[in-house]
Amino acid sequence: MGHVDRAREFVRDESRTKWHDESLWFVRAKRDDAADTVPDWEALRDEAATIKRDALSRLPDLWRQFETAATEAGAVVHWARDAEEHNQIVLDLLEERGFRRVVKSKSMLTEECGLNPFLEARGIEIIDTDLGERIVQLRNEPPSHIVMPAIHLKRSEVGKLFEKEMGAPVGLDDPDALTALARKDLRKRFIAAEAGITGVNFAVAETGSFVVVTNEGNADLGTALPSLHIACVGLEKIIPAPSDLAPFLRLLARSATGQPISAYTSHFRGPREAEDIGSPAPAMHIVIVDNGRSDLLAQPSFRDALACIRCGACLNTCPVYRRSGGHSYGTTIPGPIGSVLEPSRDPKAHAELPHACTLCGSCTNVCPVRVPLHHQLLTWRAHLAEGGHHPTRRRVAFGLAGRLFAHPRAYEILTKAGRRVARRLPTAWLDRLTSPWTEARTLPPIPARSFREQMRARARQATKGPR
Amino acid sequence: MSARDQILAALTRHPAPPVEPARPESRPEMPANPWSVLEERLAQNGGRLVHSHSGAWIDSVKWPCEFAELTHVYVAKNVPESSPTPPASQLSPTAHLSTLTSRGVGATAKAMRDLEPLEVTVLYADFAVAENGAVWHVPASALERTAALLAEHLIVLVPASSLVATLHHAYERIALAETRFGWFLSGPSKTADIEQSLVLGAHGPRTMQLVALES
Ligand code: SF4
Repeated sequence: MGHVDRAREFVRDESRTKWHDESLWFVRAKRDDAADTVPDWEALRDEAATIKRDALSRLPDLWRQFETAATEAGAVVHWARDAEEHNQIVLDLLEERGFRRVVKSKSMLTEECGLNPFLEARGIEIIDTDLGERIVQLRNEPPSHIVMPAIHLKRSEVGKLFEKEMGAPVGLDDPDALTALARKDLRKRFIAAEAGITGVNFAVAETGSFVVVTNEGNADLGTALPSLHIACVGLEKIIPAPSDLAPFLRLLARSATGQPISAYTSHFRGPREAEDIGSPAPAMHIVIVDNGRSDLLAQPSFRDALACIRCGACLNTCPVYRRSGGHSYGTTIPGPIGSVLEPSRDPKAHAELPHACTLCGSCTNVCPVRVPLHHQLLTWRAHLAEGGHHPTRRRVAFGLAGRLFAHPRAYEILTKAGRRVARRLPTAWLDRLTSPWTEARTLPPIPARSFREQMRARARQATKGPR
Repeated sequence: MSARDQILAALTRHPAPPVEPARPESRPEMPANPWSVLEERLAQNGGRLVHSHSGAWIDSVKWPCEFAELTHVYVAKNVPESSPTPPASQLSPTAHLSTLTSRGVGATAKAMRDLEPLEVTVLYADFAVAENGAVWHVPASALERTAALLAEHLIVLVPASSLVATLHHAYERIALAETRFGWFLSGPSKTADIEQSLVLGAHGPRTMQLVALES
């Protein structure tokens, strides 16, 4: 099943589509308001974009520097070439200590690596503690958004889920009450956890520190209590110095949810303080993960996507994402940035994604680190066409269209004839011919004259006109 | 070749061209009315600003109930005295860090878990940031960090004179290389994961008051 089929599934429920679309647009509007309060917004975007590109140009140096500083601070640094290595490292750390109860805060990287099913299959209980992630975990489905994992669900669906999982009274759908139930349930898990896993928003080369941002405080609670903290970080997350954090943190929450800053912006450097005698000594392990990132870096047309700070703004603004839902992409990361990143992993499987785009350019306009998203999507289309990843029908059609567009005269004659025929056909026929564009709407009336003809007529009028 | 060396080698295979970061010539300055900007931004994050004279903060904040009725309060050691001073007898024996240690428990993992149910935690932060309503706080211990998260209500005191304009100014004041753990806090713990409706108190405090202490 491709993007189109899954999107078709999603839009079947018209009121849900509308609601999904509006919820996300609401977040996009809040982003605009927040950006408007920052006088130097555009300069900040330039700064953040160039800090990231500078970092991408010297990743080996920065990571070596990070490794030294983090080790000095008492952390243990691991390197994982791919998802399997990453998962195995985490498993070994837990098994060495006989730990079975793990709490995790939001991390798209561990999602990408399939850490949860991997650990669960080996008898380890791993609980997602971000409320949205917990909801989708209990539903056995992936997040549909990188910042708001359960944005595709209605409160009544969460109520039903909690009825089954947390003993919620039948029909409960009040977000306050539902959150209170989850809080109570998760509090127990935090208290019982032996290890906490977090992602990383920014790693700072100079100091070996890293920053984790949450609104719920779950990353903090999940690492303050257990003795073992495992932080999983993708190769693209490094920045040179502490002062570089400022532009990113000024941009991130505003771009993501329209907040001035998230509730908790935590800076970790080494394991937490040893508090007592007798319980296991606190330990921090940092797993640096490649999993395709060095390959992406080697592709000049797409490497800028590694600058992404996962704010989700490009998803919220995307007319296709808003109307087709995150799950329609069939990838860990949906939306414009997902459509850029995922084909580099598996061009065959994700060849459709760069076409799930109107090239409106809105994603590029909102991106805080200026990833040229819609340009990259267009470039992907060309790459994938050259790689033979397009369906035959599209290859033939585009081949013909290409030839036609190269000959303006032929184009004019043919479209004129086409228009004449089309104007005589009943609308239903026309719609049938132009499907799938007309699956959920009809074509506008075909004009008698083309745009060029109209312009020519106007020009004639003007020269003939009075005076 | 180890995974590490292989990854580092892969990163040099086709390096990205060098880029000079575009540093702006200046940063936004302190707004004319910094505390009202901070108040507005903090309110957006669900927090509340209170002004108080340093010696009387206890009277300035909103307590969830009569002060004397509170049984579980964590007050950080660096919180300045206030009149009326909280009589030690009015605080729960499990409340204060110093009490905990004197009971010979140490700040054990068990003690941290015993912090539940904690009604109020009072912290003392280094400085506040006008543009986003955040304060920079370095917990004295993992216990203090936990206390800040497990409490139903969080009160953070900050010297009014410490206000900075933006995060750029903030990082000039932070010695990250010497900070094991430090955080910007702004507002209570919150989530909007169910239908985008804002709920305060996702895992941690349901309310957060920031007290600007005038000396
Ligand atoms: S590509 Fe840009 S807009 Fe999209 S999630 Fe990443 S940083 Fe945000």
